[in-house]
Amino acid sequence: MNATAPLKIYQPEATSAIEMRDFNAWFAEAHILRDIRLSFRENRITCLVGPSGSGKSTLIRSINRINDDVGNYNCSGEIRLSNQNILASGNDVAKLRTRVGMVFQKPCVFPTTIAGNVLFGIRHLQKLSRPEKQTIVEENLKAAALWKEVKHRLQDKASSLSLGQQQRLCIARTLAVKPEIILFDEPTASLDPLSSRAIEDLMLSLKEKYTIVFVSHNIQQARRVADDLAFLCAGKLIEYGSSQQLFSNPTQEKTRKYLNEEFCDC
Amino acid sequence: MSRQLRNRLFLLVSSGAVLLCTAILLFLFSVITWNGINALSPSFLLTASRSFGAEGGIFYQILGSLLMVLTAALICLPLALGAAIYKSEYLKNARLQKASAILIYGLNGIPSVIFGIFGLILFVNILNTGISWFVGAIILAIMMLPTVVLATFQAMNSIPEIYRESARALGLNHWQVVTGVLLPQGFAGAITGLLLGLARAIGETAPIMFIATAFSGIEIPHALNEPVTALPTHILALAQQATDPRALQNAWGASFVLIGLVTLFSITGLISRTKFKTVSQR
Repeated sequence: MNATAPLKIYQPEATSAIEMRDFNAWFAEAHILRDIRLSFRENRITCLVGPSGSGKSTLIRSINRINDDVGNYNCSGEIRLSNQNILASGNDVAKLRTRVGMVFQKPCVFPTTIAGNVLFGIRHLQKLSRPEKQTIVEENLKAAALWKEVKHRLQDKASSLSLGQQQRLCIARTLAVKPEIILFDEPTASLDPLSSRAIEDLMLSLKEKYTIVFVSHNIQQARRVADDLAFLCAGKLIEYGSSQQLFSNPTQEKTRKYLNEEFCDC
Repeated sequence: MSRQLRNRLFLLVSSGAVLLCTAILLFLFSVITWNGINALSPSFLLTASRSFGAEGGIFYQILGSLLMVLTAALICLPLALGAAIYKSEYLKNARLQKASAILIYGLNGIPSVIFGIFGLILFVNILNTGISWFVGAIILAIMMLPTVVLATFQAMNSIPEIYRESARALGLNHWQVVTGVLLPQGFAGAITGLLLGLARAIGETAPIMFIATAFSGIEIPHALNEPVTALPTHILALAQQATDPRALQNAWGASFVLIGLVTLFSITGLISRTKFKTVSQR
């Protein structure tokens, strides 16, 4: 292992769902991400790990351009989705976000019913008949492994659910919009271990249909769930590869230290 | 002076201030209730005034006041929602934000008689509308506007950013975020502001006395450019002009009814504000 060895560009065998090319991001003068080159494989779970402030959230939030709405944000390079640069001017950002869904750190349910939350996004995008609404609610609550728990109280306030259930409701709401890719920004950070495991199991079941990118501070969680792993430190991509390879045989000393939960000086 | 003594002194002064305010309010309520409750009867509430207010009731004054303030609310609400949405979602320049706040607070601080004079010059003199209840409603709407805009803006501003982000992440465009997320919660704030604004507007005399009301001879207006009789101006006229003790008794009765309406709007506004806070804090 060589601490100064040049980073090999990981060439995944499966088709790439998203490709980042020489991607840089700034908040005002602060250079948050530097020359990121990454390919996220289709129907795989890629986990972004790294210390706080390494740029993981900025990276994941750049993929659906939700950072665009934050003041002083600026970026360069390319993010390619279906071989189109999503950063190109004139792109319909709202449409992009229907293709790239996102689940946030803290569950955020809207002050309406459980069923109303599932339909919240989709009903703004297309007109739905009553039977269509019922089907969408049932299908997506089932996909989010929540149907059995809430099927008799769909008209209850969503805020009456536990935090773990609320997070699964947020996932159901995201699935209802029919995205191709789902971004999870530390989805279990505010949940208890049991609820966290439920979300992990859910992510594993969802990867059959969706490409998943998720940020986690929990190394053990990354080991359990991720197919691929990207280690970021101080805005740079230090190492990227299959989860198995990075945990067993990392090429970078910083990666080894971080994944072994040792002090890592970026 | 020791810290403990300073604490006690501060507690004493602040408690004294609260007691004084409560005492003044209670005194005012008690005097009005004591003098006004005797005049109160179904016939007082449901009949027209006669003999320059010395006889009969205040039915058309209640109706006139409600007609004007409810129309004012209908005019004010869409304007306030629009202004609050613009201020909350589209006005990003810090200087313009500050300027808009100064303008809104400034509008709130204008003495009500100035609104009356403004209405008189613009509508009655220049636009030749004549004495009109609808002009009165417009002026009351302008007076209520800052209260409603601020309440709506504060309601929208108190919505955590994560709600906006969650909605945008589902593919909603800016306008859909406004209508789907901000308006439902902002609307509750607007209703609160509106009720508090109504509580102020229904008791105002100066803005409507020159432009919208007449003392007697008016029942229900049949056109926009007709005057109405209203509670505050009726009380003013009775108190200033009546030498008959029966008229004075009726003035107390009308004051009691007016205070009741103000209290009703205020309490409903405060209840809706508490309810709204509970929703936004979930």
